[in-house]
Amino acid sequence: MSTLTGSTHKQSTLASALPALTVMVEKDLEVLVQRFLARKRDDLDRARAALGTGDFETIRRIGHDLKGAGEGFGFPELSAFGAALERAAVLHNERALGDELAAVDQFLSRLRITFK
Amino acid sequence: MNPATLKTHEVKTVAPLQNFATAHASSMRVAIVEDDPSQAELLTHWLELAGHHCHHFDRGELLIRSLDQESFDVLVLDWNLPDISGVDVLKRIRNSSQSALPILFVTARNREDDVVTALRQGADDYMVKPVRRLELLARLEAIARRGKHRSEQPEIIELDVYKVDTQTRTVMRKERQVELTAKDFDLSVLFLRNVGRLLSRGHIRESVWGPNAVVTSRTLDTHVSRIRNKLGLTPEHGWRLAAVYRYGYRLEQLDAAAQRLAATNER
Repeated sequence: MSTLTGSTHKQSTLASALPALTVMVEKDLEVLVQRFLARKRDDLDRARAALGTGDFETIRRIGHDLKGAGEGFGFPELSAFGAALERAAVLHNERALGDELAAVDQFLSRLRITFK
Repeated sequence: MNPATLKTHEVKTVAPLQNFATAHASSMRVAIVEDDPSQAELLTHWLELAGHHCHHFDRGELLIRSLDQESFDVLVLDWNLPDISGVDVLKRIRNSSQSALPILFVTARNREDDVVTALRQGADDYMVKPVRRLELLARLEAIARRGKHRSEQPEIIELDVYKVDTQTRTVMRKERQVELTAKDFDLSVLFLRNVGRLLSRGHIRESVWGPNAVVTSRTLDTHVSRIRNKLGLTPEHGWRLAAVYRYGYRLEQLDAAAQRLAATNER
């Protein structure tokens, strides 16, 4: 049994104050899930940078991919965040995008996955 | 989605993956066109656990180009791709020599007009992401079954003078057993199950020797030549196991006129 935590990523103050979100995942998905979460952390950084430059199309694509893949890996919350990001990006709603990106950050930071 | 709506603590389990390989499904060669690497890895993982062989393309053009030299049993196609759209890929396949390839659209686009467009352009089925594992497998098997070239895989194949029993791994020709090696038997079954279908060298190699085997073209040609002779798959017997330059082979059953013509040409 091994455990993956969100601690490799810089945690927000809010997230670090909240309890961990513990998820059990089958061992044979370990490599895939680790790669998936690492990519989503990278996507989060890219989306923040894109928000800073007003590049809504990049955020829309990131949201679209997150919506499509999150639930398949066992994280329906990420699919929901992805859908919300995609919607907010289409509407160029910067405030909503900031909130959604913070929510994704918080979710990833709280994740504690046990593979067995 | 508001962060405040998140539960403060939750334990959940991702469903186990084992024990779901469907008993009746035979191995398929699946092309996956998907630009999201995570999604592609997940689909590949699910399909390979179910016994299928997957080939991933992250661009539509790469798949289109590969079809000049490759054949697949079924295609899983995303809509939003970096180069051309999935619908364009679909249209080009339907207007090509591989127009009968069963195609399942798997996309996050969930509007009714998107679904209608894809189906009207010739998609065999449509799934909205996030996809569910068992549903994906069931839909793929269903469209492959409905496919022109792939039907239920019977244990006994009876075709013209041939009778193949895949349980006892025997081939009878005109009621006499033909002695075949294990690989020659598998190769014979592959061709007899796909009469009229052009099979790429990659497809043949993977189906007979497995996805990781290193098999030279010469070895493959030797096996094909051997079953052609042993099974009498020649024009004078009403059959032709034809090599297609730089692509692969096709087993054809000739009608009487074609049989006479082929025999004349070979004199």
